[in-house]
Amino acid sequence: MTPDAVPAQLGADAESGASTLITLIRPPRRWPGLDLGELWRYRAICLVLARRNLMVRYRQTLVGAAWALLQPVSLMLVFTVFFGALARVPSEGIPYPVFFLSGLVVWQMVSKILNEGSTSVVANATLVGRVYFPRAYFPISVAIASLADLLFGLVALAAVLIFYGIAPTSLLLIPPLLAIAWLAALGVSLSLSAINTTYRDVTQLLPFLAQLWMFISPVIYPSTLVPEPIRWLYFLNPVALSIEGFRHAVAGTPAPDAAAWLVSTLSTAFLLIVGYLVFRHREPTFADVV
Amino acid sequence: MTQTSIAHAVSVRALGKRYHVGTSGGALYDRLGGALGRRSAAETDAQTMWAIRDVSFEVPQGHVLAVLGRNGSGKSTLMKILAKVTAPTEGEAMTRGRVGAMLQVGTGFHPELTGRDNILLSGMILGMGRHEIESVQDQIIEFAEIGRYLDAPVKHYSSGMYLRLAFSVSAHLAADILLIDEVLAVGDAGFQRKCQARIRELVGMGKTVLFVSHSAAAVRSLCDSAVVLDQGTIRFTGDTEDALRFYETEIVSS
Repeated sequence: MTPDAVPAQLGADAESGASTLITLIRPPRRWPGLDLGELWRYRAICLVLARRNLMVRYRQTLVGAAWALLQPVSLMLVFTVFFGALARVPSEGIPYPVFFLSGLVVWQMVSKILNEGSTSVVANATLVGRVYFPRAYFPISVAIASLADLLFGLVALAAVLIFYGIAPTSLLLIPPLLAIAWLAALGVSLSLSAINTTYRDVTQLLPFLAQLWMFISPVIYPSTLVPEPIRWLYFLNPVALSIEGFRHAVAGTPAPDAAAWLVSTLSTAFLLIVGYLVFRHREPTFADVV
Repeated sequence: MTQTSIAHAVSVRALGKRYHVGTSGGALYDRLGGALGRRSAAETDAQTMWAIRDVSFEVPQGHVLAVLGRNGSGKSTLMKILAKVTAPTEGEAMTRGRVGAMLQVGTGFHPELTGRDNILLSGMILGMGRHEIESVQDQIIEFAEIGRYLDAPVKHYSSGMYLRLAFSVSAHLAADILLIDEVLAVGDAGFQRKCQARIRELVGMGKTVLFVSHSAAAVRSLCDSAVVLDQGTIRFTGDTEDALRFYETEIVSS
């Protein structure tokens, strides 16, 4: 394999056969390597797929992309009434709408990556069965498209923050915190999308799984409800750190401690690496089972 | 096959592909049952099937090879392996140059994307850059005769338009090796002639073509040589006329 030969050959005819790209096709090893070079080589495809994901979603809808704003805001109103006003869930000294919306913005990104990413390989069966490029681009492009929803969510949150006159405490922390939830969700959706090709049980399990994941994340309640001695366990879920940290960064709630950072970061790395390995392991069979 | 000094664009050695019949999409407990050893070896054997086995051939650069065979003889599996869509179980294949695939009528289009975006996607799959793709876009559109439908999602295309665009994309992007599987059978006679003329043009430019077709006329007019597949193995390799005769007498009428 001479992957480097590809860009050099642009536009060239095959007459100079010796210098062209040579591809060796062999039975896959049981655990193929990461082959990140291949991933990088085809990177342009990812953006085309991500753009398609966004275009398709709001086509044939009345209000179009406004859904990305309407959804979090209406959820915020409902949850504020039931959890904030009626159930009086503690909100770390900030107004419940701010508390909830700051968690929801992160959660909606995770939820989109989980739901759409995990079904993405099966949903693209026509492409999988006809052409070759790294299949990891299906879940990855969903994750990239989720950043657009995140942006809309951040706009809604900014409006609510301004309404309550709350100033962010640390904008610099936001990108790494969001990256942790993003990468963890991508890791999970890589494994699930691969398993889903053979066992469609995953599609059936997804709504349940998404709900469960939301309940073990501090979206509607603060992590301080979890007893102190076992709280580090709670942060095995990287989304927990992401939300707690994000809430701290935008609204000044107590910051997650070093142990939480450590546990969540390790857990994210684990989810991502295992997710990609599982994906690579099953990738050669995709065309045969979707 | 004789050894020549010409570089082979495609060479296939002892290639085999085994499918699991029925169990591939099966429920988890089937698999668990197998893992726990409740299934005998004989049973497992019955559930696998070799789509192709021990297939070897070479295609010199600039040649058109016909792949003949009945439905289910393994032609499409062979093409899919060469396109890297599916992985072989044993043996190996080597391709020299960029491989463009038109596998069955579906091709590699995404139904929700417009014609224009699908051209872009197909080019990127081949490893072409955006500018390189845009430089051939007009030729593609003109050949495909899709005109104002260019910016409509391809799911709204008629099957004829779909096919014309699919062929046009494969025939103008920078593939060095073209895999064409049955796709021409769907178009009308005029378009088929146009496609054949374009294939000849490409071969003149040094491209290599693997051509699967049931049309003896198309094979006769386009191909330099042929292989005949039957039940997953190669029964004949050689001259196109001889191959067609062999296929008619030994395979179809037997």
